[in-house]
Amino acid sequence: MKSTKILASAWDSMAQRKLRTSLTTLSVVIGITAIIGLASLGEGFRLEIRDRMQSGFELDNLTVIPGSLFAGLARDRFTDEDIQRISNILGVKLATQVMQVGNVTLYNVNKSANEPVRAFVATAVNFTDFAKVFPDRFVFEDGELPERDRNDTMIIGYRVNHPTENETTTFAFANDTIAVTLELPQSVPPYHRQENYTFTVAGTLQKRGTPGITNFDYWIFIPLQRAREIYYTEESDLIFIKVHNPEESEKIAKQAEELFPPFKVTILVPLTFINQVDRILSIVQIFLMAIASISLLVAGIGIMNIMTVSVMERTREIGILKAIGAKSRTVLAMFLTEAMLIGIVGGLIGVFLGYGLSYGLAYILSGFVQPQHQDTIFQTPETQRMAINPAFSAGWTVIALVFAIIVCIIFALYPARKAAKLNPVEALRYE
Amino acid sequence: MTRILEVREVKKSYRMGKVIVPALRGVSFDVDEGELLTIFGPSGSGKSTLLHLMGGLDRPDEGEILVDGSNLLKLSDDKLAKIRLVKIGFVFQFFNLLPRLTALRNMELPLAIAGLPEKETLERAKEMLKLVGLEARMNHKPSELSGGEQQRVAIARALINNPRIVLADEPTGNLDTKTGWEIVQLMKKLNEDKGQTFVVVTHDPHIAEAADRIIHIKDGLIAGIKEAPGRSKQ
Repeated sequence: MKSTKILASAWDSMAQRKLRTSLTTLSVVIGITAIIGLASLGEGFRLEIRDRMQSGFELDNLTVIPGSLFAGLARDRFTDEDIQRISNILGVKLATQVMQVGNVTLYNVNKSANEPVRAFVATAVNFTDFAKVFPDRFVFEDGELPERDRNDTMIIGYRVNHPTENETTTFAFANDTIAVTLELPQSVPPYHRQENYTFTVAGTLQKRGTPGITNFDYWIFIPLQRAREIYYTEESDLIFIKVHNPEESEKIAKQAEELFPPFKVTILVPLTFINQVDRILSIVQIFLMAIASISLLVAGIGIMNIMTVSVMERTREIGILKAIGAKSRTVLAMFLTEAMLIGIVGGLIGVFLGYGLSYGLAYILSGFVQPQHQDTIFQTPETQRMAINPAFSAGWTVIALVFAIIVCIIFALYPARKAAKLNPVEALRYE
Repeated sequence: MTRILEVREVKKSYRMGKVIVPALRGVSFDVDEGELLTIFGPSGSGKSTLLHLMGGLDRPDEGEILVDGSNLLKLSDDKLAKIRLVKIGFVFQFFNLLPRLTALRNMELPLAIAGLPEKETLERAKEMLKLVGLEARMNHKPSELSGGEQQRVAIARALINNPRIVLADEPTGNLDTKTGWEIVQLMKKLNEDKGQTFVVVTHDPHIAEAADRIIHIKDGLIAGIKEAPGRSKQ
């Protein structure tokens, strides 16, 4: 029998039992809708997270911190020689150090109303190098980066400069003179705990915020050279490495780590972190789809049930077909074709409904995941709204369709074989 | 005269629960081309079983059945289906048309199974319906046809592949006497005009008498073979 004829015959026989056929198809539709809906929503969610993390972390920046989580975070410090050795690694564009000064109090000498502000993270850096490592973050609201590192300038982060809740007040502008109260250790002259130093504001930074590790909005920067004079030390607390190619960052981190004794440093590689999160989200996505697949299996069992009943009802018909010369294979093909048609039709409808479902779910979820408080430290204008856009891949669609068809055929196999194996004489006698 | 079918010492028994019931206990005869043969006997004599075996719907326990020289016992299920498709036509007591198909589509079925293109199958089906006088009813479903009409469609379906032999199992058993007789006359006409070979199983002596030769079967054995009088053999 020609396959087109078998197809026509299968379609015809399904059309004879409209309600039964549509209910069976519906179960496949529900299964595929669930799979496609969750898959594309999950994929959209994963891409959104990845996107946000990539914009939050500078992928070409590695952070070297002293100590190790395995062996305890010892307060070892870095020397200029360490930085030089890291700079020499192939693929490193620049390495620059940070000396942490602790938290400080600032007074604006030029202001009559002399309200002090506090900066939680005061650091001493080489302005020129630091701006090269963080070009996206060293964007000035007022003033500019000093051409040469002068010993008496400072740069103020956005939230330090706008300390009130609604960010309307401004602490300082460029060229204002600021008195900074630094806390000095007992070992350092002049041997008492607090001392004031004055700096001229070179510039204030724009709001940046970041979902990443560091948020410069709460930082102030003073020149590294000046800090070394004040604290009588050449050592620093952190190293930032800028690499040429983020893809190489894991390799470079490994090489840098080998420059130090084991467990003496930890290097944070954003790429590793992002890949890890990405992997976890992929697993979650597959898990979601596995759950959705259960509904397709239920649909398969429904098909098996319906087909078994159908074979019984059509026993006589099968007997007639065999008596007039149909092979067992033809009978098998007729029943499997019916199942396949249910899979194709149900699968196609399910794919389209699944797309609809994922948009619907994305719309509802988007309402839930918006930040409730406007003053989170991760807040920047461009990351205020969490937008989940369902992502559809042709690959997943094809896989879902094929899966639907295969499930239908597999579950139809038993009843179809039963039909094909019927003895014609007994089938003709069947009432 | 060509021998179309040979039945050699065929035995067949059925298991009914724990009891084994012998249906055929060693039956031998031949069917020649162009013959109208009836197998006559009371119900339970094994005549329907014999017909099923002759058509390759079932396999004998012992003995040989040769259709056109090929031994059915040695054929695979697929080959047997092929024999049923091209060499044998079946007519049943309960017509056995597919209720969801029209008369035309029912007739077309064997040709479709044979894989002929639809244009050709429909043409042949229409031709055959004309032959049995039912061209006006071709788009009716079996439920819209009378018993006699349904059996005509069934006969036309049996003939559509130009089979070597048509096997009819109580073809008049579900019809009134008058219609039944018309069906017998139709088969007789096809036999005489086209030389179509028929084997008809019946328990009705009146129908049996219409044949060239009557095989009387009783308790699974041939009780007698009777040449019909008044029919000249060439």
